[in-house]
Amino acid sequence: MPLQKITSSQELDRIKKAVLDARAKNAAQKKILLCAGAGCIASGSLQLKKALEKKIQEENLAVEVVETGCLGPCAQGPVIVISPDQTFYENLKPEDASDIVNEHLRKGKLVERLVPRNIKNDKPVLKQSDMDFFQKQIKIVLRNCGRIDPLKIEDYIAEDGYQALAKVLTSLTPDEVIKQVKKSGLRGRGGAGFSTGLKWELTRKASGDVKYAICNADEGDPGAFMDRSVLEGDPHSVIEGMVIAAYAIGASRGFVYVRAEYPLAVSRLTKAIEHAKESGLLGEHILGTSFNFDLEIRMGSGAFVCGEETALMRSIEGKRGEPRPRPPFPAQKGLWDKPSLLNNVETYANIPMILLRGADWYATYGTEQSKGTKVFALAGAVRNTGLVEVPIGTPLGELIYEIGGGIKGGKKYKAAQIGGPSGGCIPKEFLNVALDYKTLEELGAIMGSGGLIVMDEDSCMVDVARFFLDFVQDESCGKCVPCRVGTKRMLEILERICAGEGEEGDVEKLIRLGLQIKETSLCGLGQTAPNPVLSTIRHFRKEYDQHIREKHCEAGVCPSLVRAPCQSACPAGVDVPGFVSLVGEKRYAEALKLHRERNPFAAVCARVCFHTCEEKCRRATLDDSVSIRGVKRFMVDQEVIIQIPEVHHHDQNAARKIAIIGAGPAGLSCAYFLARLGYRPTIFESEPRPGGMLVQTIPAYRLPRETLAREIRMIEQLGVTIETNKKLGQDFSLQDLRDKKYDAIFIGIGAPESFGLGVAGEDADGVVMALPFLKQYNIRGSVPVGKKVIVVGGGNAAIDAARTALRLGAEQVTVLYRRSQEEMPAYEEEVRESLYEGVKLMPLTHPVEILKTQDNKLSGVRCMTMKLGDYDQSGRRRPTTDGADQFILEADQVIVAIGQTLNPGRIFAMKDAELKMTTNGFIYADSVTGQTSVPGIFAGGDVATGPWSVVAAIGAGEIAAVGIDQYLTGENHAFWREEKVVDTDYDPDVDPVPYPREPVRSIAVEKRKHNFDEVELSWNENVAQRQAKRCLRCDYGKSVKRRGNR
Amino acid sequence: MAVNTKTPEAQDPQPSSAKCGCQANEEEMLRSLDTVIDGFIDTDGALVPILQTAQNLFGYLPEKVLKHISLRLKIPYSEVTGVVSFYSFFSTVPRGKHVVRVCLGTACYVRGGKEVLEAFKKNLKINVGETTPDRMFSLEVGRCFGACGLAPVAMIDDDVHQRVKSAKIRDIISQYQHEGEDVKEAR
Repeated sequence: MPLQKITSSQELDRIKKAVLDARAKNAAQKKILLCAGAGCIASGSLQLKKALEKKIQEENLAVEVVETGCLGPCAQGPVIVISPDQTFYENLKPEDASDIVNEHLRKGKLVERLVPRNIKNDKPVLKQSDMDFFQKQIKIVLRNCGRIDPLKIEDYIAEDGYQALAKVLTSLTPDEVIKQVKKSGLRGRGGAGFSTGLKWELTRKASGDVKYAICNADEGDPGAFMDRSVLEGDPHSVIEGMVIAAYAIGASRGFVYVRAEYPLAVSRLTKAIEHAKESGLLGEHILGTSFNFDLEIRMGSGAFVCGEETALMRSIEGKRGEPRPRPPFPAQKGLWDKPSLLNNVETYANIPMILLRGADWYATYGTEQSKGTKVFALAGAVRNTGLVEVPIGTPLGELIYEIGGGIKGGKKYKAAQIGGPSGGCIPKEFLNVALDYKTLEELGAIMGSGGLIVMDEDSCMVDVARFFLDFVQDESCGKCVPCRVGTKRMLEILERICAGEGEEGDVEKLIRLGLQIKETSLCGLGQTAPNPVLSTIRHFRKEYDQHIREKHCEAGVCPSLVRAPCQSACPAGVDVPGFVSLVGEKRYAEALKLHRERNPFAAVCARVCFHTCEEKCRRATLDDSVSIRGVKRFMVDQEVIIQIPEVHHHDQNAARKIAIIGAGPAGLSCAYFLARLGYRPTIFESEPRPGGMLVQTIPAYRLPRETLAREIRMIEQLGVTIETNKKLGQDFSLQDLRDKKYDAIFIGIGAPESFGLGVAGEDADGVVMALPFLKQYNIRGSVPVGKKVIVVGGGNAAIDAARTALRLGAEQVTVLYRRSQEEMPAYEEEVRESLYEGVKLMPLTHPVEILKTQDNKLSGVRCMTMKLGDYDQSGRRRPTTDGADQFILEADQVIVAIGQTLNPGRIFAMKDAELKMTTNGFIYADSVTGQTSVPGIFAGGDVATGPWSVVAAIGAGEIAAVGIDQYLTGENHAFWREEKVVDTDYDPDVDPVPYPREPVRSIAVEKRKHNFDEVELSWNENVAQRQAKRCLRCDYGKSVKRRGNR
Repeated sequence: MAVNTKTPEAQDPQPSSAKCGCQANEEEMLRSLDTVIDGFIDTDGALVPILQTAQNLFGYLPEKVLKHISLRLKIPYSEVTGVVSFYSFFSTVPRGKHVVRVCLGTACYVRGGKEVLEAFKKNLKINVGETTPDRMFSLEVGRCFGACGLAPVAMIDDDVHQRVKSAKIRDIISQYQHEGEDVKEAR
């Protein structure tokens, strides 16, 4: 049926009223709004529609299923909303249709299993408007998306559609329209952010009878899908905006340039244009006035550069889409050399609302400099990917954590890429940054069209830069030299770096080239092409240096540097797939030997390692990561007599004097690797027993003493001497060692000093530091423990202290932590076990005063409740307080565990040399050699990095051992760094085994609560075999050169 | 910018004619092309739309077609091929019945698009830009289909496959392969 021609604004009102009246009559009538955006269609929404309609028909219900545009939360698709109830159902399958029809539509009962759940309390969310995803959004551009049938013009009219046009054509002059748009502060949403009103004015003022209004819908930025969604979900809003623009500038013809990759958008826009023509809203005598405007669609043919305005116009002309120099600007000479106005989809979609509600209303949203809202396409590693619209100036962190629901799979935020290939990356230090044009530019990113891709720790920033450069290099039209040749040269350098062939000075070369290309390229593509590289260099320089100097890709991405992501993630570089697959073939001795090639503390790490390897495990994309630590635990339990690793005897090395200070994991590891090269180092340890933190603070229920002692004995057997009760700065000095002609010195004394609370009353009797507390019990065998114990802190030391206090007879142990439980740095499994054992955890609580009696005895702690505020440098929400909620907890002992540091004082003093310190107050050590600023003196572990992990210290000890050998001999003899070929069977064509991940078992709480027996148990052989077989063998068929000079 | 240059049997004069399912001979081909051109006779800048329609019709743009377009539009042949080689959408060699395009846009790239592409290469035993010997599949790389919320995605013809897992590629391909067998039997 042809549509009725609307010849006046009164008629438009009549149609609107008729639709609204009909709706009011059926207000109670249920309707299903089904998302038919391209995303949900890909997830199967059309099949769902069929199933729903079939079921509705079977049940004889009069319920209409309306196909709408994108509702927003693409990751949860297919989604529907049932109106008028506003019930939101997600992740639907055709099979769910019968429950929805029978339960919801017939009986009016909620189908609870299909509604979203609140992340915080896991309760079902009853209404769409209550969802976190929608609550913070302000929808102006997306006002109709997901609410109306995009193919029904009357639906659009009912939502005040074409009212703005009627107002403009009947009551405003073109100049008045332009004034309004200027006043609104709207800036172009395509990327550059030029004032829209000004652009209109320039085009209007240009002389010429023929002018064009053009819409840029060539949304070529990878990662952007805002324009697609608007065209699919509300095409008339763009048409209306364009007609108004045409009226304002005096154009009678217009074009929409759409990407060919968006077939659905093209077909919906085509239909919408047809309907608008039939209704007299396009074509001649629009709304019965004398204004004429005709609109055509032109499809792109897959050239990114055609998003540039002059290139786009040439492409419409039917030519190669190459840009040309400006000026003249398109406002003077554009399409076919006529004055032309080019805005993008989102810009046009804003226009009707601005003219209908007024510029002042629009300007209430946004910041001083940038008004209104911006649509972002949220993608990547966030939970709720999809389309969101927020006021300009919304903090990035809010977008990612509140609306986006945080990072997927409990991983950590690393960066957000904004603005596609022309944009940049924003690291965690800037999560508070307001998303507006100016602040983003200051950070080296741009607002761009609104693609926002969130990356977690699994993304390598060098690889991301390489990716974007590969893209722009490929898409460079080739017309100007800086862009054509320059990006190619930059890409070559980046490819070299990713392949492990980077050289010193490469980064500087990239910066120089990048700046040159920016300054000299012809068009926007080239002028912004280096941005992704420059911004990643600016914020992630360390990763570039790691690739170039250490030949190491921590994220586990760059193929030439990564054999398997787990191995790359291991600070000690253990051949994880190798030992896991050997365990799978019951070759336990070989497996253990392979492990000890890179890390002597296999049995220790089987118990206390924080297993970053598992976080990178690719099996997690299938179901869950391989329990690498569980497999390791089983492996080490099979060792009866401890094996001695390969040692290269060397008389010259044996004669060299090497001093290692500190018998912690770093020092012991350094000694182990030196001994394997034939050296006979001496370790000086301040405590009566070697082991450092392993023996002093880690309790025996986590790490049995004999387990540790065995591996230390093995190191001693290789020719390492350990002298205990020798404390640096007290029993000897660095100068003494140099005077005694030691050839090399390694410092691995950790970070032994504790931070105090810094609150009043801290000097009360009964306030102790966690480290001395743990050390006293672990070394001396007893420590005074209170009845009501409060532990302050959220790290492993805090949990160790709490569980130790509980075991030593404390009646009540409460852990106070100022942030939320999820943010505790302690290992999740340790926190969980401590709660099982009866430790009480009070997150978001902070002590403000220690209360004491007159005789200076501790009586309690005054605490404050914290709230999470904005984001701090670590990318976590800063705990803040208004000081209102204070309360008192009784206590007779407070154990403070809020952090460790190094207070060097004079202990490193030497006659003629001084150790350089880092800005954080630790010893500077080279990342490749471990050498400090003083030749011959090396350092590693917590003393160089600040408090970190056992395995990182082990890795640092190895690096320093190789560094020392190189320093003394001039050569690298680290034979253990050669990758071993593991001859285990593996068939890459067989599907992965289906067994799920098995948790590590632990003994019953009653049996462990009052003693120091080891809590964790080993699996039996069957389980271990199956678990080992879950490995996907990412190392298969790969031979990666040994990790450079590392 | 690069047009697909590598494919087996690149010299085959017959169009793959996947879309129309018939084996048009040259004369018929040019006749239908004329109809296309007539449809755009009043359009400014008609070259690109004509090439797009022709490619949809024939599956690719053989030399004969381009020459004919050049003559009819009175645009030098060099200019026509200049335009054809500029845009990645156009292909001058036949493509497979199904075009697999694996997205390597940013979102897909960071969510494992590279592994998906490798899996397609391995399963189809062809490289990017090539066509399987049975002319069933061509493999291409896409630069974002705007389904970033569902990354990684691959587009086969007009169907978008979302959250593709490399381990499941075989199943996806076989859906299309079986469809192909039905067609063969029908013939």
